[in-house]
Amino acid sequence: MVRQFLITGTLILLAAMGCQEEPTGEVTIDEGAITGPASPTPYALEVPAYFPAPIDDPENPLSEEGIALGRHLFYDAGIFSTEGTMSCATCHKQELAFTDGFGRAIGVRGEPGLRSAMSLVNLAFNPNGFNWDGSEEKLWRQAIHPVEDMLELDNDWEEVIHKLREHEDYPARFRAAFGIDNKEEINQELTVKALAQFQRTIISANSKFDRVFYQNTDFFTEEEQLGADSLFFVENVPPGTLHPGCGHCHNAPQFGDNKFKNNGITDVASIYDFVDKGRGDITGNPFDNGKFRTPTLRNIALTAPYMHDGRFATLEEVIDDYAAGGHGVENEDPNITGFTLTDREKRALLAFLNTLTDESLLTDPRFAPPE
Amino acid sequence: MKYLLPLLVLLPLLGCLDDDDQLDPLRDVQFTLNYRATYGGDPLGIQRETYGYPTGDSLKVLLFQYYVSDLELLPADGDDAVRLAEIDLIRWMSAAEDATQQRTYLVPPGDYRGLRFGLGVKPSLNARDPSEFAANYVLNEAEFWGPSTRYVFAKIEANAMLEDDGRFDTGLSYHMGSDALYRTVSLEQPFTVGGNETPTLTLTADVLRALSGNGQTFDITSPDKQTVHGGNQEVATGIWNRLAGQFTLSVE
Repeated sequence: MVRQFLITGTLILLAAMGCQEEPTGEVTIDEGAITGPASPTPYALEVPAYFPAPIDDPENPLSEEGIALGRHLFYDAGIFSTEGTMSCATCHKQELAFTDGFGRAIGVRGEPGLRSAMSLVNLAFNPNGFNWDGSEEKLWRQAIHPVEDMLELDNDWEEVIHKLREHEDYPARFRAAFGIDNKEEINQELTVKALAQFQRTIISANSKFDRVFYQNTDFFTEEEQLGADSLFFVENVPPGTLHPGCGHCHNAPQFGDNKFKNNGITDVASIYDFVDKGRGDITGNPFDNGKFRTPTLRNIALTAPYMHDGRFATLEEVIDDYAAGGHGVENEDPNITGFTLTDREKRALLAFLNTLTDESLLTDPRFAPPE
Repeated sequence: MKYLLPLLVLLPLLGCLDDDDQLDPLRDVQFTLNYRATYGGDPLGIQRETYGYPTGDSLKVLLFQYYVSDLELLPADGDDAVRLAEIDLIRWMSAAEDATQQRTYLVPPGDYRGLRFGLGVKPSLNARDPSEFAANYVLNEAEFWGPSTRYVFAKIEANAMLEDDGRFDTGLSYHMGSDALYRTVSLEQPFTVGGNETPTLTLTADVLRALSGNGQTFDITSPDKQTVHGGNQEVATGIWNRLAGQFTLSVE
């Protein structure tokens, strides 16, 4: 009886074993798995005491690894352009305070874009959206469109993400920055968030103005002082006698209020006639037509040509246009009133504007191409 | 004896409560305050509306803003005022904006006799630099004149048509503020928070009454009176005093 039981049991066992798949001797490997450190190190921005506190973005907290990744991406032409010829840094050159020197930014096809490349300094302090027209509320979202724009990088995100996932170095960097486990988790959002983290670290706060005004380690020349006290920061405005005070819209320490205004540079018959409607294209409100962001004047001597379309080649031309007093379009900023300046005053104003150049920014290794 | 242990645990916690703690999220009621801007009694339409001025000219308002400090509800029984906000900037600057802006607060239920606020930036805050705050705080450099002149308490900006040519091409810009101009505004209007229905209060400011009211006006055709950023204090103080004196409070 026992023997019969054993034989039956053995037969059942053998039958069951026969149902099992033939072992192949291979171990299943997740080819997308990423290994290495995965705990981002929180990073606190170094902000001088005379600056306000930067604006936090809880959706994209800074980390050392995120910033490092963003810096690599910022300078990587191989990732962002199809022919490997253009990166963010092509239009945002450190030596030009992260502008490009063109009136309208030149894209990967050699065609000019709609507007000039904005300086990227002190974006961490901008409370009012990004781009000339405020089209993006978040800095990290700002980088999405240029990759796809035919007049900019003319790429598609699918290709960018594919390159990043297949890259020998980036997957580990993404894991270090965002704690991801698999290459499939590398996506558009993490890519632009890394870029934004790097951009938020670009702080310009060491110009001659800062050294004189805040740090007490330098002195203005007599000409610079005249430009500052009597022209730029003037508050009392006897009509027709003095400049009305650039500082009303370009106040220290950021030197740009980031609000959207028609600053009177375009002569149109009505608010409906602006070729580039600026803010109006975003809000759909015709009274916002022809309005653009008030940008920072920090490093203004390096960021020619000027205005959203680079229409003025020099700062002298800018001052002359403001002195002419706008064109009477109904949505012009009421503070664009026209003024007279003697040659001496004009030189003084220019001298002051030149004190806003932060030479240390231009060679700061933290913002330079990575090794 | 069985209640002793819970009591011992509870007592230290009770000791942590501050006598000055006024707000209780379990008890407090959501309360809405409307800030309404008008021009001559009509809802203010930034840029999109054309308004008359007593000199016979027309204008379009591009900006109207003012700070309020220590915004408080006044209990009917004379208890301490209930603080709603230490500082706020009330602003109309876009053609898309409604003439009424809403703020909501949590307040204790009860009977109140009115509302009180400081018009402008109260001296203790006016003494603090924008660098002491985050860049997106209401006290920021865009509203700051400079280290000696401090924050701009209120701004009215407009473009005027001074000739009958359809062109609003004369800028009017009035920026005001100093510790000396800070005013406390108290408005009596009894209301009850809680119960069946909590009312909505509406605080209305009229731009025309700030520019011209109480038999006072100024000539916007005079170049001396078109841009006042601290210089022509006769004009600035006049506007400020009229602004401070014209607020109305309604309960709905």
